[in-house]
Amino acid sequence: MNNKLTTMAPWLAYFLIFGSLIFVGGDHTIHIASQVIILGLFAIAFNVLFGTTGLLSFGQAIFYGLGAYITGMMAKSFGGDFFVWALLIAPAAAIVLSVLLGVLSLRLSDVYFTMLTLAFAQLAWGICVKWSSFTGGDDGIQAIPKPELLAGGLNYYIFSFVIVTACLYLLWRLDRSPFGSVLKGIRQNPTRISFIGMNVFRHKLLAYMISSCFTAIAGGLYAGIDKSIHPDMFVWTMSGSIILMTILGGMRSFFGPLIGVAVFILLEDEIGRATQYWSFVIGAIMITVVLLFPKGIVGISRHFARLFAKKGGQRDNP
Amino acid sequence: MTTLELRQVNKHFGGLHVSKNITMGIEQGELTAIIGPNGAGKTTLFNEITGYITPDNGGIFFNGVEITGAEPESLVKMGIVRAFQVASLFIDETVYDNLCLAALAFHGKNWNIFTNRSVYKNVEEHCRFILERLGLSGKEGLKAFELSHGDQKVLDIAIALTMKPKLLLLDEPTAGMSPDERVKMTHLIRAIHEEFKLTTIFVEHDMDMVFGIADNIRVLVYGELIAEGNAEEIQKNPAVIEAYLGHEVL
Ligand SMILES: Nc1ncnc2c1ncn2[C@@H]1O[C@H](COP(=O)(O)OP(=O)(O)OP(=O)(O)O)[C@@H](O)[C@H]1O
Ligand SMILES: [Mg+2]
Repeated sequence: MNNKLTTMAPWLAYFLIFGSLIFVGGDHTIHIASQVIILGLFAIAFNVLFGTTGLLSFGQAIFYGLGAYITGMMAKSFGGDFFVWALLIAPAAAIVLSVLLGVLSLRLSDVYFTMLTLAFAQLAWGICVKWSSFTGGDDGIQAIPKPELLAGGLNYYIFSFVIVTACLYLLWRLDRSPFGSVLKGIRQNPTRISFIGMNVFRHKLLAYMISSCFTAIAGGLYAGIDKSIHPDMFVWTMSGSIILMTILGGMRSFFGPLIGVAVFILLEDEIGRATQYWSFVIGAIMITVVLLFPKGIVGISRHFARLFAKKGGQRDNP
Repeated sequence: MTTLELRQVNKHFGGLHVSKNITMGIEQGELTAIIGPNGAGKTTLFNEITGYITPDNGGIFFNGVEITGAEPESLVKMGIVRAFQVASLFIDETVYDNLCLAALAFHGKNWNIFTNRSVYKNVEEHCRFILERLGLSGKEGLKAFELSHGDQKVLDIAIALTMKPKLLLLDEPTAGMSPDERVKMTHLIRAIHEEFKLTTIFVEHDMDMVFGIADNIRVLVYGELIAEGNAEEIQKNPAVIEAYLGHEVL
């Protein structure tokens, strides 16, 4: 009973916060919230590889950019009504691409995997910038049409909220599934995984496909926020900020990455308004969190929850 | 019937010849010990049999089928399962979850992405049975890293048994255990060997255990199989006495 409550509490908080914004949020808040949930989906999908399987991809932006460009370019070519269909094609394309890249990179040792994923994403960025007749080059793509119903900021937020929630629910199921346990096992002891009869590479590949698929959905959704996309979505700083946000929030908890994204974006918004040196402030906060609380914001709150529980005379949870 | 057969197996690490022309046959239902000084190549032999490394040449056969160079995961599915000299665990998970992962793999549930793993009642029963049988009940909620050294070894063996082996390889099952734990483990291995109708090979330095429960003993020195036989034969074998620095083997 108590156990059920603790597993459901984060979901409750999620619905309370992001659901209530539908009714009380102003234009600016809705705009920020859209970014938070979409990047949050990206970060949680990334964490399937990072926190769960122990694979550091430094190039998940390739799937984010792919999703955004497929959605943006299709809507641009075939009209706004095609926008929603493109959101289905984007993840399918990401799965195909992830199989290709995964087969090339996942058999290598961890460091080489990280470097190769970075190289692939930079390559995609280069292509996107140089092949301007097809992709719009440096300028990206503007005025991406959307269906009438999704035109306003609030409507688009509700649409994104529904899709992101459905995706998070699937990823949450995955986290608690047998396959999820195998991924955690691979992180802790890949040798033992083979000696209980499972193929490490194939499980990693499926994890990579799943992570990439949901990342492309996030990218596709992003194309609709400002109706504009740009090649920077592929670039290594994009992958890098997702890694930072995930660590900031806590990579050992399912919702940790979403919390990291929310804190990061709120800080950027608040501090960015006050000073142009906001990236210094973010850097300082990052260093503090990583040095003092390697388990991220979720780790901090668990730490204080335990302290509180002890004061209340309860036994520490083993 | 011969369960495991090695024919002229050789392995070098650089200039070091760690398996020298090893030929042996292990019969179905045999409980055999491999003894030998440190660095004799016992673990290497286990690594070759279980597919962790491939011999330079020679052949390994399981129930008449050649398995030389096969992957560990396919050998596990054929029933060749091992435990490790240094317990190989999922260290942040609970004892129960360590076994559960093995049981999920055994029942082929590892590809299920969207089901909650607690729905598989047969997996749960399987884990409970192993917990009970290996005397780990009551510790199922502890994280693997919280266990004593001895219990970590027990859990390692428990994971192996969860895979329902036909051929079980135990690398120094009592290493790092207290004398009490050793005695318990020794009896447990014999009991389980019979109860699960296993063919078992174990490496061990503890001679009380070796002479106490092994049907057969094989002696490996500098990569070479120098003797084979029952306890009495081995104790009297001059080459073995020589290898153990002139001391009579107890
Ligand atoms: N992967 C490897 N690469 C190079 N040398 C190795 C490798 N594995 C083992 N060796 C060497 O081979 C020899 C045999 O090692 P092995 O671990 O098989 O011995 P062992 O009989 O199990 O010894 P112990 O009783 O100490 O466990 C040792 O000298 C060891 O250093
Ligand atoms: Mg050894």
